[in-house]
Amino acid sequence: MEALSNLAAGFGVILTPQNLYFCFLGSLIGTLVGVLPGLGPLAAMALLLPVTFTLTPVAGMVMLASIFYGAMYGGSTTSVLLNIPGEAASVVTCIDGHQMARQGRAGAALGIAAIGSFLAGTVGIIVMTFCAPAISAIAIRFGPPENFGLMVLGLVCTLYMITGSPLKGALMIALGFLGAAIGIDVVNGKERFTFGSINLTGGLDLLAVVIGLFGVTEVLANVERLVHGSLLTGRIRNLWPTLDDWRASWRPIVRGSGLGFILGLVPGGGPVTASFMSYALEKRLSDTPQRFGKGAIEGVAGPESANNAAVAGSMIPILSLGIPGNPVTALLLGALIIQGIQPGPLFMTQRPDLFWAIVASMYVGNLFLLVLNLPLVGLWAQLLRVPYHILFPVVLLLCVVGTYSANKNVFDLWVMLGFGVAGYVLRKLEYDLAPFVIAFVLAPLMEQSLRQALVMSPDGAMILLQRPITAVLLAVSAVLVALMFRRQSTHRGGDL
Amino acid sequence: MFERVLNAFWILLGAAAAAYAWTLGLVGPSGPESGFFPLIAALIVMGMGVALMLAPSQRATAPEFPRSAALHRVLGVVAGLALMAVALPYLGFAVAGALTMLVLLRMVERVSWTGSVALALGSVVVVMWLFGNVLGMPLPRGPWGW
Repeated sequence: MEALSNLAAGFGVILTPQNLYFCFLGSLIGTLVGVLPGLGPLAAMALLLPVTFTLTPVAGMVMLASIFYGAMYGGSTTSVLLNIPGEAASVVTCIDGHQMARQGRAGAALGIAAIGSFLAGTVGIIVMTFCAPAISAIAIRFGPPENFGLMVLGLVCTLYMITGSPLKGALMIALGFLGAAIGIDVVNGKERFTFGSINLTGGLDLLAVVIGLFGVTEVLANVERLVHGSLLTGRIRNLWPTLDDWRASWRPIVRGSGLGFILGLVPGGGPVTASFMSYALEKRLSDTPQRFGKGAIEGVAGPESANNAAVAGSMIPILSLGIPGNPVTALLLGALIIQGIQPGPLFMTQRPDLFWAIVASMYVGNLFLLVLNLPLVGLWAQLLRVPYHILFPVVLLLCVVGTYSANKNVFDLWVMLGFGVAGYVLRKLEYDLAPFVIAFVLAPLMEQSLRQALVMSPDGAMILLQRPITAVLLAVSAVLVALMFRRQSTHRGGDL
Repeated sequence: MFERVLNAFWILLGAAAAAYAWTLGLVGPSGPESGFFPLIAALIVMGMGVALMLAPSQRATAPEFPRSAALHRVLGVVAGLALMAVALPYLGFAVAGALTMLVLLRMVERVSWTGSVALALGSVVVVMWLFGNVLGMPLPRGPWGW
């Protein structure tokens, strides 16, 4: 019941004209970046992060969070209509969603995607309302060794969930640590890896890194292909699912909600993994799996519900533990730190107004998104008539503005360009960029926890094994690493 | 071949970073020093570089790097962004942004001169209005005051 009264207080904070405006604006921008290919929620959030510096923490965080879940709604539009995913979590929606569109059932696919997203998102937020305080109440007893163990487990889970080589994933994590070490050591003021450059004393800017890796890299990957004319030419009709569609979809929506929420909780999981696993689950459970890939509405309802439920799930580790499970929540963590708020188990007790306002805003934002995406889906589809050769220079211009605005330093533009080119090359070589960003954000917190743990122990590193929770967390991490390499050696010829 | 060179680069980078971290100090009277955490990271980079070098199955399966026209388009975008970074402090956002847009639209996308100029000016005006006026984030001005 305490959660309900806190939630009511959260609604009290969010239901002001200013906060509602930023919740709506974030939902609108989220839908926009979800609809438009080439600009994902991460890049959009990074672009708008400097704007939040001038806002109250509540307005800023509410806007960033609503961009995240808004993009999950918008992403399905492009997948269904064009067979081009608007963002990564909608890749799987292309398979059956676009086939439905080719059969003249784009409206049903878009309708079920929006309604499934709303239902799953709302269920996820309800569970989050009650789960997050419980998890935080346990984690509040954690000291530096436990926090360190938790972050190690988070990174190992990220590694476990990536589809590519775990060696490359581990390398990216270590590079993220090294990248974050650049600048002044906050403990003793010593410069690290700055080589006398005044531009590096403040460290690499998070925005420049994220916009480079996820904005510029995406444009470079897309610009390889010459796209003539506008992306969408036909008209969209019948924007409401039939009774048969509902019968076929309600179970996938329920299953997608549960699966997505659980996978959102797991670091390294999140909306992308959730949508793929939901599709696989629906295909496996179906009496007619041969329909999948040919326009089965279950192949839209399940994944679209799962990716929205995963957003709510992935907010729990970040809000209750301060552990980001994917690059988007890593950026949210960075935004909290920039606002001077210490994320972690104490966040909920120190800033209950902000915590519960974010939770309440997710209920409100989901309602906004239902309105934005169901009756107005035709309007969003019109955006796809803008030729891609006009879109991408504008996206690049926004990347430059977003990067520059944070510090008004041209050096950040070079960092953005460098990371953009590096990300493009590394993606070609099947390196996953997500572990880098998560490690880059987590590194300062992790180093601090490790140093504090070692200082408080007379036995040095043995403290990590003497504290039961830390020992369990590290043991689970070790088991996951072993399983991961075993899986790899089985799949790829056993040369590890 | 390219990936082998990259793996060798990781090993060298890890070794260099480890050597540098060592000079920062590892453990002092008040616990771990500035070099402790970077040293661990550098050793992982080096170790993973060695492991990737020794494990051919971990390499990308036929990575497709762009050639001819596609390569020109990618390099055009990189050149456009570099131009923007160079020109921004001297020309301000309006001129540098318009020039970059012109380069991208004309050289990369082969849009007509009229279309390119109109789009470049239109985009810059909208971005300046949005960020400068609506969002309150003034963009750098050139010697002309705009």
